[in-house]
Amino acid sequence: MANSYWVEPDVRFVKQLKRLGGDTLKKCYQCATCSVVCPISPEERPFPRKEMIAAQWGLKDKLVGNMDVWLCHQCNDCSTYCPRGARPGDVLNAVRAYSIQEYAWPKWLGKIVPDGRFWWLLLAIPVAIFLFLLGVTGHLHIPEGEIEFAKFFPTLLVDIIFVPLATFWIPVVFGIGIYRFMSDIHKNAVAEGKAKRKDLNIPDFLKSIACTIPTILSHSKFSQCTENKGRYLAHILVLFSFVGLFVVTNIFFVALYILQIPGPYAQANPVKILANISAIALLVGVILMISNRLKDTGANVGKGSYFDWSLIILVLGLVVTGGLSQLTRLAHLPSIAYPMYFAHLVLVFCLFAYLPFSKLAHLVYRTLAMAYSRYSEREPCD
Amino acid sequence: MEKKLGVYICKGCGLGEALDIEKLEKKVPPKIKIRKTHPIVCSPEGVELIKQDIAEEGVNTVVIAACSRRVLYDVFDFGPAIVVERVNLREGVIWSHKPQDPDAEEPDEFIQEMAEDYLRMGLAEGERILPAEPYQPEEPIDKRIMVLGGGVTGLSAALEVAKAGYDATVIEKQAQVGGFAAKMRKQTPWAYPYEDLQEPVIEQIIKEAQAHPKVEIRTGIEVARIAGAPGLFDMTFKPTGTKSAWDIPEPVEEVEGAEAPPQPPGADKATPEDPANILAKDPEAERFGAIILATGWKPWELPKETEAPKEGEEPKEGEEPEAKEPSYDHLGLGKLANVVTNVALEEMAAQGKILRPSDGKPATSVAFVQCPGQGSDEDFPYAAAITSTVALKQAKYVRDDGGPDARAYIFYQHMRTLGQNEYFYKSAQQDEGIFLTKGDVVSVSENGDGTLVLEANDTLLGENIKVSVDMVVLGTGMVPTTKDDPVLNLAYRQGPGFLDLDLFDGYPDSNFICFPYETRRTGIYVAGCVRRAMSIQECREDAAGTALKAIQCIESANRGVSVHPRSGDMTFPDFFFQRCTQCKRCTEECPFGALDDDEKGTPLPNPTRCRRCGTCMGACPERIVNFADYSIDSIGSMVKAMDVPEEEEKPRVLILACENDAYPALDLVGLHRLSYSPFVRIIPVRCLGSMNVVWIKDALSKGIDGILMIGCKFGDDYQCHFIKGSELASIRMDKIGEALLSLALEKERVQQVEIAIDEYDKLPGIIKEFMDTIEEVGPNPFKGF
Repeated sequence: MANSYWVEPDVRFVKQLKRLGGDTLKKCYQCATCSVVCPISPEERPFPRKEMIAAQWGLKDKLVGNMDVWLCHQCNDCSTYCPRGARPGDVLNAVRAYSIQEYAWPKWLGKIVPDGRFWWLLLAIPVAIFLFLLGVTGHLHIPEGEIEFAKFFPTLLVDIIFVPLATFWIPVVFGIGIYRFMSDIHKNAVAEGKAKRKDLNIPDFLKSIACTIPTILSHSKFSQCTENKGRYLAHILVLFSFVGLFVVTNIFFVALYILQIPGPYAQANPVKILANISAIALLVGVILMISNRLKDTGANVGKGSYFDWSLIILVLGLVVTGGLSQLTRLAHLPSIAYPMYFAHLVLVFCLFAYLPFSKLAHLVYRTLAMAYSRYSEREPCD
Repeated sequence: MEKKLGVYICKGCGLGEALDIEKLEKKVPPKIKIRKTHPIVCSPEGVELIKQDIAEEGVNTVVIAACSRRVLYDVFDFGPAIVVERVNLREGVIWSHKPQDPDAEEPDEFIQEMAEDYLRMGLAEGERILPAEPYQPEEPIDKRIMVLGGGVTGLSAALEVAKAGYDATVIEKQAQVGGFAAKMRKQTPWAYPYEDLQEPVIEQIIKEAQAHPKVEIRTGIEVARIAGAPGLFDMTFKPTGTKSAWDIPEPVEEVEGAEAPPQPPGADKATPEDPANILAKDPEAERFGAIILATGWKPWELPKETEAPKEGEEPKEGEEPEAKEPSYDHLGLGKLANVVTNVALEEMAAQGKILRPSDGKPATSVAFVQCPGQGSDEDFPYAAAITSTVALKQAKYVRDDGGPDARAYIFYQHMRTLGQNEYFYKSAQQDEGIFLTKGDVVSVSENGDGTLVLEANDTLLGENIKVSVDMVVLGTGMVPTTKDDPVLNLAYRQGPGFLDLDLFDGYPDSNFICFPYETRRTGIYVAGCVRRAMSIQECREDAAGTALKAIQCIESANRGVSVHPRSGDMTFPDFFFQRCTQCKRCTEECPFGALDDDEKGTPLPNPTRCRRCGTCMGACPERIVNFADYSIDSIGSMVKAMDVPEEEEKPRVLILACENDAYPALDLVGLHRLSYSPFVRIIPVRCLGSMNVVWIKDALSKGIDGILMIGCKFGDDYQCHFIKGSELASIRMDKIGEALLSLALEKERVQQVEIAIDEYDKLPGIIKEFMDTIEEVGPNPFKGF
């Protein structure tokens, strides 16, 4: 029969998914309760039932590059109602983690970022770079007098590191992954009959991104979760605080190089206020995330793997080191303030440099998948 | 025996209010001196009153007009010498009938008449029934139990028998005991946590059986003939595969249209000693009390290819096209070396690693096909839940043998993992290398490189798929040994094996749900895979059940009482041979083959085979078969005792209700305070099979307007306790119809309905419908003659 699909189960793939937090995947017996209770799954060819059997059968090609995997927000309504404890929400999360690795370039980074054995190496890279640059420029000591971080770690030096990271590393490295990701989800959607629109037109796709942004900002998908309301607040706090901090960083950049206004700003400065509010929101958001996960006894939040926890810990580290840097600066404690700032920069480096390989990559992949879903008319624009 | 009746009318449970008890009492004929009313007859005082009359007045027949015979039978038990007759005024009259005027102070006329009728009928029956005396065989009963088959079931049954203190003898055809259980690598789990395969238990069972002093094992032996009856089975054995003079003769086929009913095999033989006569006795035979049949199963085999009709050849006219056998061609069994059955795989796995039969290379990917597919969702013939667990078990073998990347696929339409097997299913499912999907397997073909390609449609993956595998294993079934072979070789008039096996695809069961282990041959009980495809653990449980049945049978035969379902019934059919016309109806109709017959056709009863259903009594045109407490006369006199008024507005209908389902259902109608016509009179019968046409004739000639027979369902899913009773009644019904027409009576006056015990709520409607029919037909013209 010409239209039969050649099945080649990959036993290793199944094992990998189990390691990435999908250890329950084999329990599924295909009753499709998950697809019925999912509040955000489309009516036609709904997920996650079909993804579950593909995962059980080790059918990598049906999962990696499947946009539906990214339409899932891990509400875990499905996991709550699953009669077999197969936790489809967590399994799709594992598939996403695997997909991020799969699309990562260079591959070796994709392998070591989610691997718990190499966290020290990931930290050692920025530490080594920073120490080297500080040493070369003769800044490897605690400066005297009024605390001013630029005296210890010159702004120019920061920008020499971070500007290329933001403008070259992320676009190029992530761009490769994104390109492959997009072509895969398009191919898969057409092949599986999920896409009503079979071509790929860039301007129209950009329009779809535009229509997706309000959905993301309002968390309107997230808010449909019933089992997992707590995560909605945590996630929206974290998202908006990142937006706030992104705005602050850009203002700061413009102010410094174009308006020639160096920091630190006074506490009453509106930009500073925005920064502090964002930092507090981030702290609250991340603490909520952690407490949701720790207090969770049922199906709600998902067990979380290293892949998941490493990002949360990194964000917590960011906000703690950032906050303490400011507080110890104001408290005139140079011996704490300067190392704290150093640590903060290390973590910021990690966040950016490892973005395409960490869970944070969902920021882009999910956005694109949601946009594609609207573009291909699988879901309507809100 | 001189009858001395005592009548006791109860006023309790509302009887005193709903009925005019005084008036009722006056209906007792004056010759019966002992007649008492009591506020609560079942109270200690009431019972004491009866006991006093028995002791002091010599009452030997107690007529209690109170509640149904189905309740308080233990309270009203005065020992085997005292006949107890129950008149059902409570469930049968006041609970199931509402007065026409609920505010009237006087008891309702129709209800009162009904009670009076029932009392008359009870007195008539009480006059005619006698206390039962158990049957005692002339020859001594043997309590040894014969177990046919030395597999896991047979050996377990023998051990159970032995542990209960009885002697068991196991006969095994093969040179070694153990059966297929000894050819397995592992067993599906049967102990907590029910997740991992277990080592086969058979060796331990063999050792235990061999060591037990009460178990005797004989191998290389089979049965030539079984004669006799429970407690008195005479068995002749022979070395496996040999011929014996005592081999049972081939049964004589009934020829359609032949005038005389077929003669029993060997009936023409002059000497009763000639082994070709099934009634001849082998002097060398060994005697056993009961038989456990545990001969197990044979692997299902591909049906032999039937010749396709030649092109252009038209099927002959009038010939029914035969039901199309499902095709197995697409699966490649018998054509592709690497397509095997689950039985073949098990034997291979027990020997060593799983290898491709074509080249002996390790099989690292194996597909298990549970259903032949092609649009049908039926499993393979004779497959059952066990086939699903076996597929899971063998999938684990593949994973154990084939390394970490080994793959086992299971394509099913049904995954049946009952009970604790669900845990095993879950544990197999957890294995990364076991892939399960529902699917319709459309083809298995060669791939060229030694592997096979399996294609399946409509899978859970949402599309048609194909996989490349080293081997394909078909989940074929276990065919009961009784399917094509009588196995037992009974020297019974009705044939050497079980009857009506086509109803059960060859499984020898009388009623799977109601009477497990029972067969239609009393004293012969089945266990294990001959009864149903099952796992080793289920076989062991089955063996225990059967062992208890066999012991129960022997102990019942020993005391001269019925085994089942009328357990403990001491009556048995008594034949008045002087008037027998040798018509053989009783011999042929007995559902249990209890009757043999001599060369003239005179029945030869085997009372220990009898289940006391009374089918012979119903069948006999000469009315010469009767029981002490249930006879043509006892029921006939009840019919005659009914009062048939001449008024047209008081029709009378007789209901003959089977006491197993219909009569309890009628009691339930009363219990639920539903109501039906007060013009019916109900007489319980042991089984509709015991219904004798003479009762119908008596009723009609008396002027009764209609007769409704309520029995159990018959046919494929029959519920009859005696298997054939209601079906036989329906056949007799057809004959009654002809007789009615000759009397110029309408056929509609006699009807039969089938009902299950839980369908009591339908009864008022059924009775109403029948009453409407009778009203339409009009009164019986014989009324008043």
